[in-house]
Amino acid sequence: MSDGARTSVLLVDDEEAITSTLAPYLERNGFEVRVAEDGIAALAALAERSCDIVVSDVLMPRMDGRELVRQLRRTESWTPVILLTKVDESFERVAALDEGADDYLGKPFDPPELVSRIRAVLRRTASGRRPLSASDRLSSGDLQLDRTGRRARIAGGAVDLTPKAFALLDYLMSHPGELHTREHLLAVLWGFEFAVTTRAVDHRVAELRRVLGDDPGSPRWIETVAGHGYRFCGEVSHP
Amino acid sequence: MSTLLVRLVPAGLGVVLGLVVAVAGQNGTFVVRTPLVTVLVVAGVLVSAVLLGLGALLRRWRSSRAEGRADGVRAEREAHRRFLARLDHELKNPVTAIRSAIAAEPAADSSPHLRVAAAQAERLGALVGELRGLAALESRPIERVPVDLASLASEELSVLRDELASRGTHRDITVTFPTAPWPLPAVAGDADLLAVAIRNLLVNAAKYSGTGERIEVRGWEEDGSVLLEVADSGRGIRAEELPHVWDELWRSPDARGVEGTGLGLSLVRVVAERHGGEASIRSEPGRGTSVRLRIPVSHNRM
Repeated sequence: MSDGARTSVLLVDDEEAITSTLAPYLERNGFEVRVAEDGIAALAALAERSCDIVVSDVLMPRMDGRELVRQLRRTESWTPVILLTKVDESFERVAALDEGADDYLGKPFDPPELVSRIRAVLRRTASGRRPLSASDRLSSGDLQLDRTGRRARIAGGAVDLTPKAFALLDYLMSHPGELHTREHLLAVLWGFEFAVTTRAVDHRVAELRRVLGDDPGSPRWIETVAGHGYRFCGEVSHP
Repeated sequence: MSTLLVRLVPAGLGVVLGLVVAVAGQNGTFVVRTPLVTVLVVAGVLVSAVLLGLGALLRRWRSSRAEGRADGVRAEREAHRRFLARLDHELKNPVTAIRSAIAAEPAADSSPHLRVAAAQAERLGALVGELRGLAALESRPIERVPVDLASLASEELSVLRDELASRGTHRDITVTFPTAPWPLPAVAGDADLLAVAIRNLLVNAAKYSGTGERIEVRGWEEDGSVLLEVADSGRGIRAEELPHVWDELWRSPDARGVEGTGLGLSLVRVVAERHGGEASIRSEPGRGTSVRLRIPVSHNRM
């Protein structure tokens, strides 16, 4: 983090009722917080002084959260971004990740959940290198993922995945080595925890293992963490 | 418009020529001798042609009325979906602000009033999320792969049995799926959504029945669809309340003591309709309830 000082957060939202309460909450949790009311104000604030992480709403006047992420990544700035997304369809959330956001949290969220996401994203992005989530292509062993074309290949041969199985593989592979709870993966797949039971996640993981030929007993890629969830255990690289 | 004009050309010509002849004072007589058979045949054909034309007009009018009605229903559903989406949109920022305001208050944990506010804000947040899910479900693309409803139902039943056992209660559950002459064919759909619909029906059956009461789950094939019925011998629903059970957030006054959001059956209906099927209910107070799902059979073989 910057100069051994407190972790600095740039909070971007046009709702004053949210920034005026969330900023003091984050400060109470040990963060240094600056506030911007939209994407343009956020870019101006970052030009003035960088921060450790950006927490941004999606729908805002002048410049929305997605455009903010695109602008940052276009200039090779890898400051991690969490989008407080207002979109509710999973493919749009995955698209938000595709565009280089590091994580997302749907409104209304539990404030402590935001704090734990901020910490998790900072652990993941500590290297300051280009994050996997900002890459078009990922590979792990002979498994290759074309994230923009939404295709997976094993040893050069295309594998047939349902859109949801692909979304799950995409998420796991761009967040390797991290333990993901079933509840979190369900939100990734569906965009909401709505009634769909977490067994839906187990079914998709079973589909992925079947199609990829991954043995759950000695997995090359997807590991079950008993009683907790799943982890992508393969080494992931990007060109 | 132009075709109408073209059709009126012979009539116009006739009138003009007639007037010319009349003005010229040459109103002669034109007599044609035709065999009666020809007259009858031509008259019959003309009458048939007129009737056929009228029939086609009537059919077109009827079908456009039916289309109008279907359009009306679609428009109403679309307006309803947009309303749910707007509601979610307008509620989530205030609820987010309330939750962060309470969290920012250092005394939140020690104040009993703020604890109530926090719990209620959390409940409101969950409700907003569920409404959003329901609105999204009406329009989002759903998967279409072959799904075996019998195995989904069996899995959800075993989960329900475990949940009931862990609460120290049980129901007398019987399951009937055909095996001869063949098992249930696959339906085309999204296994996650169908599993949720089945789970909602099972949970309802368990919620509105007492310990030891019967729950029967049946599946059969009929007219190109799979029918799945979940029936219970529980408390039942009054006839005047039955039309409302599919409405979002509707809960019977009789169900006040039972936990729930009033979204379960709305979800079941949306899932059935998104699969090209439907959901229906029969119930009698004091005797029990049966809900049926009809889902069209998949054309792809498993």
